[in-house]
Amino acid sequence: MPRSKLDAAARRNRILANTIVIALAIITLLPFLWFVVMSFKPADDIFAGIDGFFFTPTLENYTSLWNDRFAGSMLNSFITSSVSTILALVIGTPGAYALSRATMKQERTFSLLILASRMAPPVAFAIPYFLVYRYMGLLDTRTGLILVYLTFNLALVVWLMRNFFDATPRALEEAAWIDGASLWKTFMVIVLPMSGPALVTTAILCFLYSWNDFFFALTLTRNNAMTAPVEVVNFMNYEGWEWGKIAAGGTLIMVPVLAFSLLMRKYLVAGMTAGAVKG
Amino acid sequence: MENRRRDVAVNAVGHAAKAGKTPAFERQRQRFFWLLLAPVLAILAVVTLLPTLYLLVTSFTPLNLANPATAWDFSDPLVNYRTLLTDDRLHNSFWVQAKLSVVTVVLQLLFGLVVALLLNMRTPLMNALRTSFLVPMVLPPIVVAIIWKVLYSPDISPAWWLFQLLGWNVQTPITDASWALTAIIVADTWEWFPFTMIIILAALAMMPEEQREAAEVDGASIWQLTWYITLPYLKGTLLVAGLFRLIDSIKTFPLIYILTDGGPGSVTEVSNYYIFVQSFSFSYIGYSAAVTMVLLAMIVVLSWVIIRAVSGGSNAQE
Amino acid sequence: MKRDDRTAAETAASAGLFRRDVLKFALAGSALAAVGLRAPAVLANAKPFEGVTLRGACFQHIFHTYIQKLLPEFEEQTGMKVEFDLQAFPVYNQRMDLELSTHGSSYDFCNITHSFSGRWISAGWLTPLNDFLNDPNKTAADFDPDDFVSGTQIAYIDANKQLHGFAWEAGAMLLAASRFDILDKEGIAMPTTLAGMIDVCKAIHNKNGVAAFVADRLHHWNFPPYLMGFGGKVFRDPPRDLMPVLDTPEVIEAATYYSELLSNYCPPGVLSYTDDQAMRNQLAGRANMRINAMSWLLPLAKSDDSRVKDTVRFALMPEGPAGGFPACNANAYGIPAGSNQKDAAWAFIQWATSKKTFERTALEMGGLATPRRSIIEDPRYKEALTINGQDIASMYLDVLERSGREGYMAYRTVPIWPQTGEKINKAIERIASGQADAATSMKAAQAEAVEDIKKAGVKL
Repeated sequence: MPRSKLDAAARRNRILANTIVIALAIITLLPFLWFVVMSFKPADDIFAGIDGFFFTPTLENYTSLWNDRFAGSMLNSFITSSVSTILALVIGTPGAYALSRATMKQERTFSLLILASRMAPPVAFAIPYFLVYRYMGLLDTRTGLILVYLTFNLALVVWLMRNFFDATPRALEEAAWIDGASLWKTFMVIVLPMSGPALVTTAILCFLYSWNDFFFALTLTRNNAMTAPVEVVNFMNYEGWEWGKIAAGGTLIMVPVLAFSLLMRKYLVAGMTAGAVKG
Repeated sequence: MENRRRDVAVNAVGHAAKAGKTPAFERQRQRFFWLLLAPVLAILAVVTLLPTLYLLVTSFTPLNLANPATAWDFSDPLVNYRTLLTDDRLHNSFWVQAKLSVVTVVLQLLFGLVVALLLNMRTPLMNALRTSFLVPMVLPPIVVAIIWKVLYSPDISPAWWLFQLLGWNVQTPITDASWALTAIIVADTWEWFPFTMIIILAALAMMPEEQREAAEVDGASIWQLTWYITLPYLKGTLLVAGLFRLIDSIKTFPLIYILTDGGPGSVTEVSNYYIFVQSFSFSYIGYSAAVTMVLLAMIVVLSWVIIRAVSGGSNAQE
Repeated sequence: MKRDDRTAAETAASAGLFRRDVLKFALAGSALAAVGLRAPAVLANAKPFEGVTLRGACFQHIFHTYIQKLLPEFEEQTGMKVEFDLQAFPVYNQRMDLELSTHGSSYDFCNITHSFSGRWISAGWLTPLNDFLNDPNKTAADFDPDDFVSGTQIAYIDANKQLHGFAWEAGAMLLAASRFDILDKEGIAMPTTLAGMIDVCKAIHNKNGVAAFVADRLHHWNFPPYLMGFGGKVFRDPPRDLMPVLDTPEVIEAATYYSELLSNYCPPGVLSYTDDQAMRNQLAGRANMRINAMSWLLPLAKSDDSRVKDTVRFALMPEGPAGGFPACNANAYGIPAGSNQKDAAWAFIQWATSKKTFERTALEMGGLATPRRSIIEDPRYKEALTINGQDIASMYLDVLERSGREGYMAYRTVPIWPQTGEKINKAIERIASGQADAATSMKAAQAEAVEDIKKAGVKL
């Protein structure tokens, strides 16, 4: 009975594949889980080798961390990331729409400009921004960070949203024009509302990239505007690495991005693949 | 892209024919689009083009912050570019960069492909586990770096507890000249294989079923299916994903900053990191600007290749 | 701080005290006499700095924690508020370097890291303190700058005899063996020469599971004493002649010696060790000897985490064929050139480095790496630093004084030291990780250093 034989083989394959995937998932997650677990370990157990494998969880790393300064840096991270995301969306979305709908000779030039500014290594911007901010007094300010985050966020918004607009039919807009709606009104009332999911996707990615930034915050802030990733590195102090605190801080920094990513997985994946799969 | 192409064609041929479209309206539309586009272009120019120009100008001066007289000193504009030609440490950094980029991109494509092909069987269990593969990629890179610092520190690493238990005497790779770069590569591959994975998965989801089914009916094995049908279909996607990763790999910073600081010696010092040290530790701003210009030129070329590849890819699919 | 309610007469009587010895040249020309019998105006007022918020930046160090504990009194008396921004050591140095280059006013006082002192002072990024010192309205008579041991102050005096900072911490390199009992059992004494130290290492390495030696990865701090011990030099004649001389036979010999120490007699992974990791190895009794500043060695005797309290022994750093050159450093408080509140900043620095403050931080709180002679010679200090029968206080003072007298630390306080130090660090890493032999690596370091110094615009 070849049919059932085939089924049996297929089932075996599935079981095998499932097992491999479970193993791979564990390997992928292990380093991350180890780190999170470490943040709940008492300092002694961190260095205790295998003896520290079982331990009584403690929140002391978190409480010792939650002083004004770390809270302040989390706030800075939050403000700079969200404001920059919103600005980029407000400025970039109409532009992306125009780029998608208009027929322009310079299109390839724009694409190159946008892609290149997304691809440029941060150090290329950090040097001139540092020099200019020295004179403008924007070093170590949230405004300064927000502006510099626009370098990649704006490009990201235009890139992703144009992809989205390219894929949406124009029938509705054209119908609205025929009904005498103005171009601006059509954009606001017809186009924007149907872009909801795309806007969410883009916003998540912008927020993620800004939140995850380390380089600009390291070079362009000192204390007032210092963001959480830099503050965590700061725990490597003169007296040594405070592993418990570092782990707790790192865990706190990843909570928002992890929560976002897991809750909105579909959007996130859509955004990340948009550039590559469809162009 | 395909849609846009089609639309462009429609624009060109059939627009006027559509109801209510006069040339006057068409002009108004174009004006409106430029109006929407103007702020983006203006701001993009201010936040990206101006700084790049400033960088270019600075690269012709020996600017050193500890020596104010060096600002705007154009007496020997090419001095940095001459130094650059003889700077062994810089050349070494390009070589390190090349090794790091090529190996990580290949490994990430490989792992990404394997995991994506597995996950594409889409059993309920796999759909449930799928998200866990995304975790490394969305973590803040600085946290990823710290996680690997933990794993590579014998005092606190679970791996070394195991080695100790087994009685092995293992050196930590991050201080070993022949293994330090490998240590970075392992961490980087862990961090970014999910990226190639989701791109490949997305492409697989759009793969037309007919060919596969036909081959399956003909009794092709799963390996044959993968080799002769799936992989050729994925060629374009792999290329694009690889190019994206290639460019991003030039930005690798936190891993090196935290794990090796470019060492031991200079074996893990990539160009990006070298520029950082030169500019932000020793304030050789002029020289760093020149090196950065070279790096930027390389990235623009790569970006251009990507645009060609992506448009080429979609042509092939059409 | 009882300074405020002192009478004018007291002030005048002690005014003469603070021109003496080491700092005489720095303070020459003071117009003290003319000021006569007036109390320091600033200090005599109750709360002279009411409403001022002073902002300072330092790298994280236990001393600042002590100071923060004592601050309320100071704030009560002066009316100012003092805020600290503390960062990790490497992060602090890099950021303060950039911050100072902007001439910004975000900080009113800052730590001057010893190895950056030459760079920061010569670039004009810090405020000279002489005018403050010479003005009895601004400086209390009993401040007594000469009380700072010379080795802790020379880094902060520039070519024009202007003084830019006062040390809050002093470092003097000593040798400590955490498990002297292992040496003792073999009938070996603490080594006094570098050659002898290698023999000791050979004899005890991995006995009882203890590595013979341990070091941290800050080679540009650890290595130069060996380099000079073998008769080498970093620069030809600092600060006048900054030609690096890193490829001489003496330096190569020293590099070979030092790298051998690292690769053959240290725990695995030593090349990545931070200060703290190296110390932990000693505290746990996993590594025996280490040569570093006293603050990294004292915890062996004082820390609750120490398992080697009873077995630790100290000694001066062993000498090389050319003599002994134990490193000495001092980190100081200074005032950035861009500060808008220099008077208040000086009042703070003066208080934080006063005898009274050090008395409390050193003798009551346990911060023993202190720069003032009067504290080091205090009987209570001697008592605290008598460990397992050894008088560590006098070793400490000996090193501080020797480096001040002989001036061999000058290499570390020249403007181009940070870059040159990095070259040395990389060179040692290359040798110890087996990428290159000592001669090749040091020759490369020499070429890189020369190239770099040219890039910095220094004429050789």
